[in-house]
Amino acid sequence: MTAPMLEIDDLTKRFGGLVALDRVTLDFEPDVLHAIIGPNGAGKTTLFNTITGMLKSDSGTVKFRGTDISGMAPHRISRLGMSRSLQIKSVFDSMTVAENLWIAAQASQGVMHPFANRSRFGRTAERVDRILELTELERLRDTPAGTLSYGDVALLEIGIALATQPSLLLLDEPICGMGPAETAATVEKIRHLAESVDIIIIEHDMPVVFDLADRITVMAQGGVLARGAPEEIANNAAVREAYLGEEEEDDEPDA
Amino acid sequence: MELVVALAMNGLVWGLIIALIALGLSIIFGLLDIINLAHGDFFMVGTVLTWFVLEATGNYWLAFLIVPLLGFLLGALVERSVIQPIRGMAALSIVATFGLSIIIQEVVRAGYGAAPKRILPPIEGTIPLFGIEYDYYRLFAAAVSVVAIFVFFAFLHRTKLGTWMRAVRFDRDTALAMGVPARTIYMVTFALGFSMAALGGAVAAPITTVDFQTGVDVLPFCFMAVIIGGLGNLPGTVAAAVLLAVTEGVVTSFTDPTVARIVSLCLMSAVLIARPHGLFTGATR
Amino acid sequence: MKARIDRTVLLAVLALLIVAPWLLQSMELEFWLDILAEVLIWSLFAASVNILFGYAGLLSFGQALFFGMGMFGVAIGIAKLGLGFWPALGLGMAVAVGTAAVAGALAVRLTWHYFAIITVVFSLIFYFIALSAKPLTGGDDGTSFSMPAMLEVGDFELSLTDQTVQYFFILSVVGAAYFLKFLIVKSPYGMALMAVRENDTRASLIGLNVYFLRWTAFVIAGGFAGLAGCLFALFGRYASATYMFYHVSGEGVVWTIIGGAGTLFGPVVGTALLIVVREELSNMWEHYPILVGLVVILTVIFAPKGLMGFWNALLDRLTQPPADRAAGGEPHEPREEAAAVQVRGKDRP
Repeated sequence: MTAPMLEIDDLTKRFGGLVALDRVTLDFEPDVLHAIIGPNGAGKTTLFNTITGMLKSDSGTVKFRGTDISGMAPHRISRLGMSRSLQIKSVFDSMTVAENLWIAAQASQGVMHPFANRSRFGRTAERVDRILELTELERLRDTPAGTLSYGDVALLEIGIALATQPSLLLLDEPICGMGPAETAATVEKIRHLAESVDIIIIEHDMPVVFDLADRITVMAQGGVLARGAPEEIANNAAVREAYLGEEEEDDEPDA
Repeated sequence: MELVVALAMNGLVWGLIIALIALGLSIIFGLLDIINLAHGDFFMVGTVLTWFVLEATGNYWLAFLIVPLLGFLLGALVERSVIQPIRGMAALSIVATFGLSIIIQEVVRAGYGAAPKRILPPIEGTIPLFGIEYDYYRLFAAAVSVVAIFVFFAFLHRTKLGTWMRAVRFDRDTALAMGVPARTIYMVTFALGFSMAALGGAVAAPITTVDFQTGVDVLPFCFMAVIIGGLGNLPGTVAAAVLLAVTEGVVTSFTDPTVARIVSLCLMSAVLIARPHGLFTGATR
Repeated sequence: MKARIDRTVLLAVLALLIVAPWLLQSMELEFWLDILAEVLIWSLFAASVNILFGYAGLLSFGQALFFGMGMFGVAIGIAKLGLGFWPALGLGMAVAVGTAAVAGALAVRLTWHYFAIITVVFSLIFYFIALSAKPLTGGDDGTSFSMPAMLEVGDFELSLTDQTVQYFFILSVVGAAYFLKFLIVKSPYGMALMAVRENDTRASLIGLNVYFLRWTAFVIAGGFAGLAGCLFALFGRYASATYMFYHVSGEGVVWTIIGGAGTLFGPVVGTALLIVVREELSNMWEHYPILVGLVVILTVIFAPKGLMGFWNALLDRLTQPPADRAAGGEPHEPREEAAAVQVRGKDRP
């Protein structure tokens, strides 16, 4: 078996008395599309926040391709090649779509020249063009991001994450709020992306998860309930009881 | 020693008045999300209105009634005309209140004059206290402030309007969803803030000068009380105001007032950086 | 099209500024040359507010601190240390930038309301220190000095005592500073600042060091304010603590907002307008600040993007066919319209 790209060891995160992550230990191997599912409050988004440095864990370690990233600032983790989209979509509202991608592409190279004109950075411009093509946002390149439709913002989110040239992409409910046609198109894009980038996705839409993922991790109450291939998860009694049974009621985002 | 006691007493009295004014600043910040740079001028308007009431009627006691009332009306007017149109644009609100501050000061300079004036306290005489002869009026001023602060807290906790205000501060969206009349609450909050600052002005008028610029000195002090007490922490604000004023008073007794002010400003920076939620909150998050 | 109009206007204004000494002389309005110089200096000060607020999204009410540091650096350098023209200027800049580096390291740990308040507090601390350090600063009265020569070669002497020399010195320094600001705004660094302004969480997730970017912006802005202070000290031949008070910072904010925060020339437009209004009105009506306050409030309510925002919208309307406008219009340079004024409060307690 190949070495894991992401190793989470004994990770704990508490909010006051609430234990959001309870000694989570998880390995993610590369070249496999991972999905994390679980009822609201299971700790999925908290897990992403802790991995990416937005929250400091109380104990435990996270290793990304062999590097210990626990306690590292988000921008340093990002420069190591880990990128993520946010559950509540957030882009640079008053900047155009192309500018959103431009700054993300440039930031990953670490060069923030204070005096040179932006037009001098050809490699960045090329990268922006490639991502505009990939996300099919070409037609909106000069539209301010704040005026985009919800589905386009979600695409831009993915585009920004990609522009940083990640080797691992964490997607937090990427299709949340999309219509059926947009969902189908986005799922295809994610599948296509997975050929070149490692992906871990949090998703509530079960058909999408079971269609996309090679490997599913089920979380509940801050811990890992089960892991396995989609078929195994679908037939796991504990999972059915804890999660799939109550799937219908929960479409609120978890905190 | 006598000087220390006198300055500490002055600090206590002044701290209670500042607490009254700072409470107004704090509720405006907590509910409307506005940094009110004109708040010191609301206080100044209170002192000037007191002077006018005294001129017109010769009766000082009337000022304690009329000035807060006028302050309330002016506050409601300002909220409707200036604050309401820029709701939700918090950065701009700071700028708008700065503009408001310019207007208020200049209007007062035009209507009242640029020369500072003094008002004689309505109660003369002194009383022996802790080995010194202390002004009656200052004690009276402290008492009025304390009563006003108690009335304010009673209003917040015992009346429907006050409960609504607390609800909006605690969780705006939920409160609004539950049918709390937001526009009225915002207006009342701002008007109440103005009114409290104006009452502070009426109380303080005889122990300070009546001048169109006094607000500029009072404002930083109120901000210190609000920050050190913890933004939105009303009892903390009162405690911080008294603590600061007494400390400054005592420090002033062996060095000059400017140094005392520098010391409390440094204290405030330290609190802001280390514990932005105030000295009296349990955790820094 | 729009860019061409902008460029034409800019060149015309620049040409007018260059011929201004002779133009005003021929119209016998020499004293307006000093007002023009003052407008230039204060627009540099407003630019400092704009770098922080318009581009980095941090509203500072404390830029007067660095202005005052520049002033005192120059004045004390000349009057107390006996420095020449250029060393004194260097001292003023060093003091201002040094203070900004230290103050910024603390201040940019905070954002939003807290940042605005701590900038006021810092400037008040130094204001009171300057007031009480009488032997050094002269306290209330300030420190005045006589102007050393800028350049001495044999008998030839160049000095700011000549009104025209002084004007061109100020014009070139301010012009150079604005060119620097233009470069910064158009650079990757400038774009990174705007990204931080728009969404600091997202900015950190794409690999931008938010704290470092904010700190550098604070130091650069401090340098701009300090340079303005140096110029103003040289212009008035004195320094005074009153220029460190937060009301001076507030004026800078007002000029920037009225001109248009987040636009390159907004601060110039706002400063010019309000200083000219002051010069014209103060003779006619003693209480003209009422009008200034009204303009501030009306701008904030009705034109939150300021005069430059208004101008940009007007040009868009004139130069674009209606159909195009709806679709977002011609490809344009990174948006400079004052988006900053809509920065949301993200860290309420």
